[in-house]
Amino acid sequence: MTDVAIESPIAQAIAEGTLPGRVWLYTNYHCNLACSYCLTESSPRSERRQLEPSTMLAVAEQAKELGFTALGVTGGEPFLLPWLPETVLEMASHLPVVVLTNATLFGGNRIEHGALLAHPNISVQISLDSDQPDVNDMARGPDNFAKVIEAVPRLIDRGVRVRIATTTGGSLDAPELDPLRDLVAGLGVAPDDHLVRPIVRRGRADEMALGVRAQARDIPSELTITADGAFWGSFGPTVRAGRLDLDLLLTRTVLPLSVPANALLGLLGGMPEGNDANLGIR
Amino acid sequence: MPRIQLLDASTAPMTAESYFAGGDPGPIVAALANVPELLGPTLGFIGAALGPGATTTRHKEFAILRTSALLGCRYCIHAHTTVALDVGLADVEVRALRGEMALEEAFTEPSEVALIRWIDAMAGATGPLPDDVWTAARGFWADHLLVELSATIGATMFLNRFATGFELPTSAGVLERLEHEGFDTGMAADTAGAS
Repeated sequence: MTDVAIESPIAQAIAEGTLPGRVWLYTNYHCNLACSYCLTESSPRSERRQLEPSTMLAVAEQAKELGFTALGVTGGEPFLLPWLPETVLEMASHLPVVVLTNATLFGGNRIEHGALLAHPNISVQISLDSDQPDVNDMARGPDNFAKVIEAVPRLIDRGVRVRIATTTGGSLDAPELDPLRDLVAGLGVAPDDHLVRPIVRRGRADEMALGVRAQARDIPSELTITADGAFWGSFGPTVRAGRLDLDLLLTRTVLPLSVPANALLGLLGGMPEGNDANLGIR
Repeated sequence: MPRIQLLDASTAPMTAESYFAGGDPGPIVAALANVPELLGPTLGFIGAALGPGATTTRHKEFAILRTSALLGCRYCIHAHTTVALDVGLADVEVRALRGEMALEEAFTEPSEVALIRWIDAMAGATGPLPDDVWTAARGFWADHLLVELSATIGATMFLNRFATGFELPTSAGVLERLEHEGFDTGMAADTAGAS
């Protein structure tokens, strides 16, 4: 961290725990899957609305300068973008990066595309919702379970740090999840790298009445950058019936990053503590 | 129907919440809220340019209503016809500023005639102002008043194009009032410049 960052209000708020340290970037909104609980109604037919690599790199660089401590990359399915690994590698020269993926695009030789992310500052977070293939695939799409089970050990073998994210409509500590925890551990993923989180009732999940209801203050206030603007939290830029939700929009301006970051900081000043920890939203 | 989504308290960005706290803020705010960081600076400028200042309210309404008529902005003509009546302009003065009757039938005060001609040259023409228009206006109106009114005209021109381009709707209350007062609520006065 530079001296400039230490002195910035953003860095101070992060150090005090008022502001989360991670900045999320929605690389794109289209996806090869169409999960039932998807916040952004992503599917192969979704409009791409993608960030340019130059924007992502500028966000990474300015995030570090402002005092943010980590980056997250999500979508849509980020690996649909052919330039993604090289861009993430460059972002990781500024801050640690976690990249979210469904891991269904790593079959055969394409595993080497993901293996480019074998880097100490990068982790790849893969979605897996059940130890039962049919249960997992009902929400996420045909053959998803098999593709994930195949990809995870292959990525780990190539030196990629893999995290697993499980999204559930049930209790976060339900015993029914134990077989899944065992499966994930068996794939070589450390227990601390297995996240279990609730479905958040926004986007398509809201249309299907799935998941936990959450107000703005219940959603972690991580600054989130998209092609449509900057939002409060990675659960902010949701899509409902084809229309982007604007209720958690901070600014349409994304660069310089100080504009949305200061808008976020200004809102945090007057907001009571949320219930995100109790709801397990992350 | 407006051409863009007009946001309300349930759909507006959290950074625009305060603008909706007092109820429906009207279509201009509801449209601007699509880019919430514009609300503060834009409304700040509009408020300063159209609100109280060194110029009298009467003459500010000259600038706002006349400019709106020159630019053919139905929304602003509707809104400021009611404002002009409320601040004491006579029915004939409002109709003349709207371009529905000749200016000389409503205005005889030389300072006001000079001012309206200056507004016409500022808002309804391109290029430098004709010398005679400037000289006549400058004979009655101090520099700082003309500067203030030029900001009023500029802000009004922005609102004219914003409201017209996005087809912002006039409120039912304003339409009822205009019909009650006997004003045309169609596309009024798009020939104001020729009057």
